[in-house]
Amino acid sequence: MARVLQRSTGRPSHHARRWAYLLLVGTAVLALLPSATLAATPHQQTQDPFGSFMWPAYRERFLGDAPVVFDERVRVEAPAFAEDSGQVPLSVDASALEESGEPISQMIAWVDLNPIPRLFTYTPMNHGLAKLSLNIRLEQASAVRVAAKQGDTWYVGGTFIDAEGGGCTTPGIANDDNAWEKTFGELQGRLFANDDEQRLRVRLSHPMDSGLIPSQPAFYVQGFELLDAQGQQVATLDIEASVSANPTLGLHMRPAPGGYVIGARDNNGNRFSLGLQP
Amino acid sequence: MKGPLSMVVGGLLACSALASEPVTFCGRPLVAQPVAPNTWMVEGQREELSAQNCGHIGNQAFIVTPNGVIVIDSGSSPTFGDAFKRLIGHYTDAPIRWVFNTHHHPDHFFGNAAFDQAEHLALATTLSLMARDRAALIDNVERLTGRALPRTRLALPRSVAPGAITLDGYPLTLFAMTGHSGGDLVLLDPATKTLFLGDMAFYQRAPATAHTPGLDRWQAELSQLRTLDADIAVPGHGPSAPPSAVLDQTAAWLAWLDRRLSDTARAGLGANAALDGAVPARFNGVALDTLALGEYELTRSVMQLYARYEEALLWGSDND
Repeated sequence: MARVLQRSTGRPSHHARRWAYLLLVGTAVLALLPSATLAATPHQQTQDPFGSFMWPAYRERFLGDAPVVFDERVRVEAPAFAEDSGQVPLSVDASALEESGEPISQMIAWVDLNPIPRLFTYTPMNHGLAKLSLNIRLEQASAVRVAAKQGDTWYVGGTFIDAEGGGCTTPGIANDDNAWEKTFGELQGRLFANDDEQRLRVRLSHPMDSGLIPSQPAFYVQGFELLDAQGQQVATLDIEASVSANPTLGLHMRPAPGGYVIGARDNNGNRFSLGLQP
Repeated sequence: MKGPLSMVVGGLLACSALASEPVTFCGRPLVAQPVAPNTWMVEGQREELSAQNCGHIGNQAFIVTPNGVIVIDSGSSPTFGDAFKRLIGHYTDAPIRWVFNTHHHPDHFFGNAAFDQAEHLALATTLSLMARDRAALIDNVERLTGRALPRTRLALPRSVAPGAITLDGYPLTLFAMTGHSGGDLVLLDPATKTLFLGDMAFYQRAPATAHTPGLDRWQAELSQLRTLDADIAVPGHGPSAPPSAVLDQTAAWLAWLDRRLSDTARAGLGANAALDGAVPARFNGVALDTLALGEYELTRSVMQLYARYEEALLWGSDND
């Protein structure tokens, strides 16, 4: 069963480029008009740095009418290209933004050109830090966005990932994605503590089938939650099937003497749970 | 002195006898560099496959024996193979009778079709990897070089066993290894003490790790290769040099890569943390920041190998 999303050339089509051009012209005209967008500080700009034709649609879909600004303090790290398009490591860190003001209340991430664009919605509540890492699937070369909500404004960071591996790369070499069949549901984790945070590294053995491959029904993890030692929910992470098979998460939590419990559920009603103490 | 002198004289005679147009490939002269008596190599560009280099990124070599020419690796396309064959024709009019493919990567065997009169030889392990990956590798080469390959002409070689072999009176010693690709052939020519390493070693160009069974296994095999009686080594990528220089540099790169992946995984950080920070100037006393494609191969290796390090160091049953 092929679980890696279909590879493509990674080059935008003529059609796409034409739309990008029209969008650019449209944006230039709009820029001359008075706008409700926030005034840009040195960290910020109001134009999409990637000039992507999908930006307006996904801004509206994921962020609604709230004010939006592009801000480099929402750091998004990934390799410049995807060696294995089924497993691309992505790290997000908005702590510089959080330190400058109110706590981050939510983070939403998406891939402009994935068939399932949304990656996750992270709600750190009072215990989560504004940092996260996980592996994602990349259908083709694309901008990857992360929007962090502070107050009533969305601050958006991003990076661009090319879809080309090297000449001797073959699909699925990096990971045996079918290993889940022997180990399905195995939830493993380690907790690394220092004065500032408890870093949870967690892996769940799960195929994350998107349902987009014919004759393969959707079967994927929909959400993780973090509970404190008393069983209170203290952070949530909802994900889509654009997250890689065998989801491996890096979560950054405020230090808690009793550690944390991480729980997960998939769209078939399976539930998984693991306690991690410092 | 007798060997090199006769080689030069032989080369001059051959050139005057067979003088013809200089061979070019992809707009550049294709040059055979002498590495030992009757032995030459062609160095590929120290780059990844691209339209600009037409796929000529790997090394090739040839040995002119009394009864025919031995070719070691054929390049990444039949078009390249044709140019390489013309170049060999500048040095000898002997027939090309044997083509060895050191491993299954496209820059080392996709030129085979140009040598259809020769016997094509590879390890059995390499053959099964060729069969497994051929279609995907053809796609890669076409995508990265922007040139179509004639798929039906990319036939698979015949398998050859490791050990001593004699090719119509010319002895070679073959070693079956796995470190770089899972099936890696190393050839030793005892007559000239030349070691043909394939991609078991890279020199002045960072090693590629896409199909390694494990960096520890690669290292163990490099140690075995150090014990061989050889004066000069031809790596799979980069210039020829004394064997110790080539093997030490490859070993230092792999040791440093192993250290970085282990340290990052052990700290519970994500793969991107292994990409932070430059390639060090030196590791184990060997300069690493002068290698071509250092950042590029580091990026690839992290994506290829990081999950294995986490498996071993975080999730395996033997961790604390």
